[in-house]
Amino acid sequence: MLMKIDKLIRSSGDGFKVEGLEELLRQARRRVDSALKHVRRPEAAVGVIKSPLGDLLVAMTGRGIVLNHYLVDDSDLAATLEKARLQLDLVEDASAVKVVGAEIRGYLAGEGTALRQNIDLSLAASRFQQKVLRKLQDVPRGAVLSYQALGVAAGAPKGARAVGNAMHNNPVPIYVPCHRVIASDGGLGGYGGGAARKLQLLRSEGFSLGDDDVRLPGSVAWGHKGTRIYCRANCRAAARVDRGRILFFADAKDARQAGLRPCKICRPD
Amino acid sequence: MRGFKVMAREKLRLPIRFERIMQRHEREIMGYLLRSSGNRADAADLFQETWLRAYRAYPRLKPDSDVRPWLYAIAVNLSRNRARDGARRARVIVPEDKENPAANRSGEVHRGFTENDGYAAVHLRELMSALPARQREALHLRYFAGLDYAGIATAMDCSQQSARANVSQAMKKLRSMW
Repeated sequence: MLMKIDKLIRSSGDGFKVEGLEELLRQARRRVDSALKHVRRPEAAVGVIKSPLGDLLVAMTGRGIVLNHYLVDDSDLAATLEKARLQLDLVEDASAVKVVGAEIRGYLAGEGTALRQNIDLSLAASRFQQKVLRKLQDVPRGAVLSYQALGVAAGAPKGARAVGNAMHNNPVPIYVPCHRVIASDGGLGGYGGGAARKLQLLRSEGFSLGDDDVRLPGSVAWGHKGTRIYCRANCRAAARVDRGRILFFADAKDARQAGLRPCKICRPD
Repeated sequence: MRGFKVMAREKLRLPIRFERIMQRHEREIMGYLLRSSGNRADAADLFQETWLRAYRAYPRLKPDSDVRPWLYAIAVNLSRNRARDGARRARVIVPEDKENPAANRSGEVHRGFTENDGYAAVHLRELMSALPARQREALHLRYFAGLDYAGIATAMDCSQQSARANVSQAMKKLRSMW
C-alpha cells in the first residue's frame, strides 16, 4: 500500500499539501513588508553617462544626485556599484540620469548655470565630511580655495588633511566642486579623477593654467571672506591676512560677482 | 585636449532586485520553515526574520553567486537558533484542528489527501521529524529544495562530504523505519 519511500522522496516534494498556504503566505508577506519599511535603503536610479571628462557613473535618489563617479575601467564600475549597493537600492535607469550628462556637457562648454540638480550627500563617509562638502558648495564658480581655508570654514582650522580626505571621498564631484580646492602654496593639489580632469574643470571656470608648472597664476585676485575685499596677489594688505579665509578668484570680475569690493590700497581694477 | 577613457559597456549588469527574489522563493522558504519549525506561528515569525536578514545582507552577496543556497543558509540558521532557544521538538505540520488536535498528530488520513499519497506523506513527515536535525535539514535541502551538494554545503555551513553523508544517513534511516 505504501509508495516506495525513495520514490516518494525523490519525486520532489513530499506530496503533503499545507492547507491554507496561500493565506499564510499573504499574511506573512504583509508582515515582511511592514518590517522592511524600517530598514529599507533609499532607491536610486543609476546609469552611465558620457561627458568630455570621460564616462561617469551617476545615481539619483528622490532627493537629488547622490553619486557621480569617474569610471576608469570595468572593475572600477563593479567595485563602485558594489559599494553603492550597501547604502542604496540601485535600479538601472539610463533615462533618469541623462539630464546629468547634458548638464555637465553644458557646464564644460561655459554655461555657468548649467548644474541644476539637487545634491544628496547621504553617501558622505562621516558627519564631518558631509559638513565640509556642504561648506564647499558655497564656493562659487571662478573661485578656488585651499584645503586649509576649507577646513577653517568647516570649523577645523587644523584639519587640512582631513579636508583632503573628504575631497577624496566626495561622492558627487563636479556638482560638489572639490576641483576648486587647491594646495596652500597655489599648487594644484590632487584630484580623485586625476589632475587632468581637475585642470580641465578649472580652465572651463576661467583659470588660465599651464600644463607643466601647475600653479595659480599671479593674476588671480585674493578675496577675503571676512572683510569681503579683494586684492592683487602682491598687495601688502593681502600679505598680512589670515590665509584660512582667502578665496582665490580667477578674475577681478568673478570677485565682484561674488559680492566683494576692490582693495583701496592695491586697486586691483 | 586629452581624451578620457570611454567605457565599452553600456549595460551595468546589476544583480536582480530583491523583490523579485522574494517573489520567486517565498513559497519554498515558507515550505522549509513550516517543516523545520513544525507550526505555523513559528514559521511565520521565521519567515519574516529570514527576509529581513536577507534584505540586509543582500548587498554583500557576490553578484554572480547562487541565491538559493544563500537564502536557505539564512533560513537554516534561523530555524536552528529557534529550535535551540525554544527547545521544541519539531512536530508534524498539519492544519490546526482545534476540535481534535490529537487526530492530526497521530497521522490519521486528513480529508485533504487521497488515501495513498496522503497517508504516505503524513507518515513520511512523522518519520522525518524523528531524524536528527542535521540529517533532516540535509534531506529537505537535497530532495524537497533540490539543491546540489555544493549548495547544501553552503546552506548548512559544512563540507560537501558531510552534506552527502547526512543525506545518505537520513535515507538509510527512513528506509529502515518505513
